[in-house]
Amino acid sequence: MIGIGGIGNANAADRRDARFGYALSAPALTMLFLVILFPVVSALYTSLHEYTLIAPNYDTFSGFENFMLALGDQEFRHSAWLTAKFVVGVVLLEFVIGFAVALMLNKVERFKPVYYAILLCPLLMNPVIVGLIWRMFLHPNLGIVNYLLSTVGFGPVNWLGDTKIAIWTIILVDIWHQVSFMIVLLLAGLASLPKEPYEAARVDGANSFQCFIHITLPMMRTVIVVTLLIRLIFAVKTYDLIYIMTRGGPGISTDLLSYFIYRTAFVSLNIGEASAMSIILLAAILALTVYLYRYMRAIR
Amino acid sequence: MAGIDLKNVTKIYGNAVVAVDDVSLEIKDGEFMIFLGPSGCGKSTTLRMIGGLESISKGDLLIDGRRMNDVDPAQRDIAIVFQNYALYPHMTVAGNLGFGLKLRGVDRGEIDRRIRAISEMLDIGPLLERKPAQLSGGQRQRVALGRALVREPKAFLLDEPLSNLDAKLRAAMRTELIKLHQKVGTTIIHVTHDQIEAMTMGQRICIMKDGRIVQVGAPLDVYRNPVNTFVAGFLASPPMNLVPGRLDGQIGLDAVTGLAALPIPEALRPGYASHAEKSVTVGLRPEDFHLLPLAGRSAPVSVTAVAIELLGPEVILVAELGGTGGPEIQARMPRDFLARPGETLTLHYDLTQIHLFDPATGNVLVRPRIA
Repeated sequence: MIGIGGIGNANAADRRDARFGYALSAPALTMLFLVILFPVVSALYTSLHEYTLIAPNYDTFSGFENFMLALGDQEFRHSAWLTAKFVVGVVLLEFVIGFAVALMLNKVERFKPVYYAILLCPLLMNPVIVGLIWRMFLHPNLGIVNYLLSTVGFGPVNWLGDTKIAIWTIILVDIWHQVSFMIVLLLAGLASLPKEPYEAARVDGANSFQCFIHITLPMMRTVIVVTLLIRLIFAVKTYDLIYIMTRGGPGISTDLLSYFIYRTAFVSLNIGEASAMSIILLAAILALTVYLYRYMRAIR
Repeated sequence: MAGIDLKNVTKIYGNAVVAVDDVSLEIKDGEFMIFLGPSGCGKSTTLRMIGGLESISKGDLLIDGRRMNDVDPAQRDIAIVFQNYALYPHMTVAGNLGFGLKLRGVDRGEIDRRIRAISEMLDIGPLLERKPAQLSGGQRQRVALGRALVREPKAFLLDEPLSNLDAKLRAAMRTELIKLHQKVGTTIIHVTHDQIEAMTMGQRICIMKDGRIVQVGAPLDVYRNPVNTFVAGFLASPPMNLVPGRLDGQIGLDAVTGLAALPIPEALRPGYASHAEKSVTVGLRPEDFHLLPLAGRSAPVSVTAVAIELLGPEVILVAELGGTGGPEIQARMPRDFLARPGETLTLHYDLTQIHLFDPATGNVLVRPRIA
């Protein structure tokens, strides 16, 4: 009897706790639904209709036609491929630079907060401001970058006007802006690593490089995967820099997917097809996220 | 195997904090040495200096006669077992065991052979493919030992490796370590703050306090002949009772209460003669109180019971020496002993086991050693 009574009381307490938990999280969940889930569902619904800004209605159900059109569109495929290259470029370079700087900062004893403050400055800037500043810096005739290059004998470079160079310029500016995000996250991971395995490795005979390969990298795997995942998702969404610096040009050499979807929606006024493209992009990011999440769980 | 020689070794952190102060100690080849002391006494720092994980501020460290102060930890050919084991969390047990050998370029076949041999010896064969997170505390401890053993080093440094185990497993591992030392015969330095580990495992104990060595000797010798009140109070549980007293003119002892008079045996008197009529600290071991007189070598002591602790095999009597208000002492009694709080009892103290200390310095007053 005592046992049964005890269990019953425990369940009642659990239910009370659960109700309290739901009550606490309800406002946040409602907001999340309104700003995330609703737009996603709305985009999905729109993508299945012929919805344009000229005829903004859901009268014509088109099924998967918008998806087929998008996938068959050469410009969409070009933008998707360009975005893939851009994402791999920025994430890999930011990771390599970020990890190297984080490793150095992890060894620093003095003035750490000062380094942190300096590193965080670009990250605190709005991407629009970053774009405007760099557009001025990189101006072919009046920019400081070309001026500095001229002082060491290099001719002027058309950073944003050359179809071969423009995408690399965007990549470099994005790295300047976002690399500190990578540094801060990786540094937090490095700082939280236990020191004992390193001491054991030193006694076992590992040099610094072997410690990095055999101890640091494997123990940092989870942090690295999470950092890469977050940065990757943000890189796929890159829009502001393109809008401010190149508007996708010259030609379509920097026409990343987010900007291309924007053009399809608000220049071509084809909301239905733009929604389909957004859903394809969302599916790709989700697939990647699920894959990395599973990988992360597997290595734990 | 290796002899380890510390010559005036000092460790200073920053500019001011002296963690180890002028320590000199010779550890013989194949010896099982215990570093014992309370937290912060410098025992782990000394061990880490021997292992090469801490730099030596002053003095010399010699291993097999060769100065090792600036030699890399890996080149010292010494293995360390850490307090929290420090296993590589991402590697399997086999990976942990073989990592050091792999780094030293030992060929795959030899690594496998040694891993097999060690895993059989420590009974961790079925665990080889598991990761540390999937092991119990005792299993991790054995893997950490295995990682040290597999390298066949000159010496083992054990930094409180049993402190994270439960009491039963700790007792079992104590025996395992003793057997292991008998089997491999390698020099072992074992750091602990547990005096039972110190008494049962080591061939010699080095007791440290405030970064300095207080006493070095065989466990029983240190137990029977503590050099000062710190050692007397630190070793054994319950520790030696330390009560204020006074040597009277006839070289007898009169406790400050005037109620417990313990005459000093003839054989011990010469050493104490110079302290006649002076205050002393009297050291009385709990196990040297008896219910019945010992023929010709005990004196009656009146005590008032405060409490009794029933431990099963024995009873610890907490009592006030000389009656109510006297200094509190603990006495080890037979398992069937009973006393009510407030009850006055007469116990008999073994007079050959009296220790006297200088109350000002805490140092023992010279007397013939108890063998």
